[in-house]
Amino acid sequence: MKTAVITGAARGIGLRIARRLAEEYERILLVDVSDRLADAVVEVERPGIDVVPVQADLTETAGIRTVVEAAGPVDALVNNAGITRDARLVNMSEDDFTAVLDVNLGAPCALIEALAPSLAQGSAIVNIASRAYLGNFGQFNYSMSKGGVVGLTRAMAIRLAPDTRVNAVAPGLVNTEMVTTIPEDVLNRMIGAIPLGRMGEPSEIADLVAFLCSPRSSYVTGQVVVIGGGRSLT
Amino acid sequence: MRAFLRVDDALRAALEAAGIEPVEAGDALVFRPGDVGTWLEARRELTESFHLSKDAATRGCPVVYVVDIDALLGRSGPAPAMVAAGLVSAARTLALELKKSAVPVNAVAVERDSDAASIARWVVTLLEGGARGPTGELIHLGGGQIGKALS
Repeated sequence: MKTAVITGAARGIGLRIARRLAEEYERILLVDVSDRLADAVVEVERPGIDVVPVQADLTETAGIRTVVEAAGPVDALVNNAGITRDARLVNMSEDDFTAVLDVNLGAPCALIEALAPSLAQGSAIVNIASRAYLGNFGQFNYSMSKGGVVGLTRAMAIRLAPDTRVNAVAPGLVNTEMVTTIPEDVLNRMIGAIPLGRMGEPSEIADLVAFLCSPRSSYVTGQVVVIGGGRSLT
Repeated sequence: MRAFLRVDDALRAALEAAGIEPVEAGDALVFRPGDVGTWLEARRELTESFHLSKDAATRGCPVVYVVDIDALLGRSGPAPAMVAAGLVSAARTLALELKKSAVPVNAVAVERDSDAASIARWVVTLLEGGARGPTGELIHLGGGQIGKALS
């Protein structure tokens, strides 16, 4: 039974990735710290697919253990869970720094290491980084954590080859709940800096993740794909 | 120039020879992570870089992070890779935040056997680059990155 594990799967990009992978995998583990997983299960469910909700805090050893015990053999792992705590560095607290680092970088590192013995031959890992790894004002913690994810991706691609491929996806501005907190004028300015003239849709991120998980990308490993409408050029 | 040097002994000596006076609260920061092998050690290094960088940013001081090319490319294992790549991203973000103040923030990627004097010369050049010099850049020394991943 082909199994995919998706973290941060209760909403947004993670939920859309889970829905997309449910088209290609027979067992989908939805991992999230929130209690909104029941709604996510309903959205992902389809005939013949086993959808397993796993509520776990991946910054805790117990949470990592819970996922490993629920997973069994894994064909695809998508490390999507992430948080932001934005501020200019001069105003950033240590709590906001470490919280972002632990969720965005420590958790995927721990989960990959814990699941490594369960990864099937020909399996794939996709780490969700961010265009912010190229630098982003007010996000010292987030940018550093996502840069760390890029480094983690490269190191794990070397360590887990040839049985498992490891790649990263670095989305730019994506149309999710998080965007609703951005003031309209700021959002319009951000969109104005995107050559394709719009936000990305979660389904577009999910399609790229599905490609990197699939045999269609069987010769791709250790790479970062920036998916941001060309924003990294402007 | 007076600088806070959070570096290994060899680089410290080379920086002093290049005219940098090591002080507790200087006009610049040079940060080179120590060896790490676990996530907790990586977290400790990144957290220390956060505190020192915040202090430098608050005082408007230029910053240079020194990282290993092998670590940056993932060839030294996950923990060194997370630290090196994390610091390069941090340099880009902090460079953006300090751009209006004309304070440069850069990173230098070096090979394991790069001589400290060469590293020190580049660090001093970047620290003294000022408003019109490089900022948000990653300078590779020794050519170990040629033909490898863009970082």
